[in-house]
Amino acid sequence: MDQKVEFQALTLRNLDSMYGYAHILTRNDSEADDLLQETLLRAFRAFGSYKRHLSFKVWLFKIMKNAFIDRERRLRVRPVEEEWKGDEGLPKGLTKELFLYAVPLDPEEILLRRLTIEEVREAIRRLPAVMREVVELREIEELSYQDIAVIIAKPIGTVMSRLYRGRNLLRSALQESATGRAKPRSSYGL
Amino acid sequence: MACNVTHLKLFQYLDGELSEEQRSELESHLASCRDCRHLADLERSFHQTYLAPLRPDPAPERVREQVARLLDALPDQQPRSAGWRRPSAVGLLVGLAFVLFGGVLWLSLQRPWHATNAPLIRLAEASVEQHQKLARGVLPHDITHGTPKAVEQWFKGRLDFNVSLPELTRDDLTFLGGRISHLRDLDVAALHYRVEGKDVSLFIIPLERYQKLGLGESPKFKMVTHQGYDVIVWSSHGAAYSLVSEIGDRSCLVCHSREEKLDFPTDSRVHDKL
Repeated sequence: MDQKVEFQALTLRNLDSMYGYAHILTRNDSEADDLLQETLLRAFRAFGSYKRHLSFKVWLFKIMKNAFIDRERRLRVRPVEEEWKGDEGLPKGLTKELFLYAVPLDPEEILLRRLTIEEVREAIRRLPAVMREVVELREIEELSYQDIAVIIAKPIGTVMSRLYRGRNLLRSALQESATGRAKPRSSYGL
Repeated sequence: MACNVTHLKLFQYLDGELSEEQRSELESHLASCRDCRHLADLERSFHQTYLAPLRPDPAPERVREQVARLLDALPDQQPRSAGWRRPSAVGLLVGLAFVLFGGVLWLSLQRPWHATNAPLIRLAEASVEQHQKLARGVLPHDITHGTPKAVEQWFKGRLDFNVSLPELTRDDLTFLGGRISHLRDLDVAALHYRVEGKDVSLFIIPLERYQKLGLGESPKFKMVTHQGYDVIVWSSHGAAYSLVSEIGDRSCLVCHSREEKLDFPTDSRVHDKL
């Protein structure tokens, strides 16, 4: 197939996902438009090196993330990053590792309240940027931990910790909206 | 497998991220432990109810139209020069042969300065590429109005060099906007104007990087024609400039008045065939 035609077809098939990711990164309509277009131009230039057995979406997302980092660097904006601050604040006996990989919050109460999908979508949109990025890539784009790690250029452990914290915050927000209670509760009874 | 280990692995299990062996161990535990099975069922229900139906938000219609225009405008062949890439061994040999051949030819014919001026051609090529994106609206302006001083101030702190804008004194000149752009790996200030109904882009380049291109002082204004666009390159007052238009040296009106006499030696033109 002609490379331009193939590129067009693959791009259009992934357009919603690409625009969504551009919006997660920039949090701004016009900057998302700009980033999307810059990504497509970069991607087309590099399309000759795209390995067809790999996911086009992951390849594009990686290019988009790099384009975003370059743009932030050019504009001298500090990228939104927040890292794990350590174990302080964790209940006694609960190590960072245990905390990160545990099931965060019993979802039974949230299930009973029958929230709408739009409420869930809105709660995801309100997550802090670094957690929203990973939660969306996993829950909406259904990417593997490995793919997400490649895109955000972080170790899988970081993907898992951000995913955990994102899921926990999401459930707290959903529970709050369902019951009016703000305090999260984990399945460990903490 | 103990209950606490099952809890630790439950998300990885539901996300399909466990190895075959771990998955099998965990499923054996779920088969024998009602509490853990209940927790796994709740998690599965939560996912199926609230997360599985989620899809990416549809891109707005204006984005679809922009992307459709961009995809249509892509060249049928991918650009040959996607950055300065590492050449292959064959490419290197062929390139070397060309360089040697070109060098010998140059020495024997003593042709004008531009015959071996590949950096100028590459600079012109990159300038035209960025100009096309600005003109088509593919690269939106980050700043769209303001006095030259205000625009200079906007660039200050965002670029590693001082950006000095030409004073716009002519009525037939319109400043459309500016942004930080790049010519290959070079961060530059990009300014977009309209003159005589045509788009004109002015790229301001740090002098230090321009000097590394080895373009020399003479002639002061170097003009290249590339893909139907006129590119004028020069340096002045601590910065270098690349100006792209379709109106030849009339685009000099961006910086100069009609009354000024500008020196354009005829042999400074390069009609680039790239």
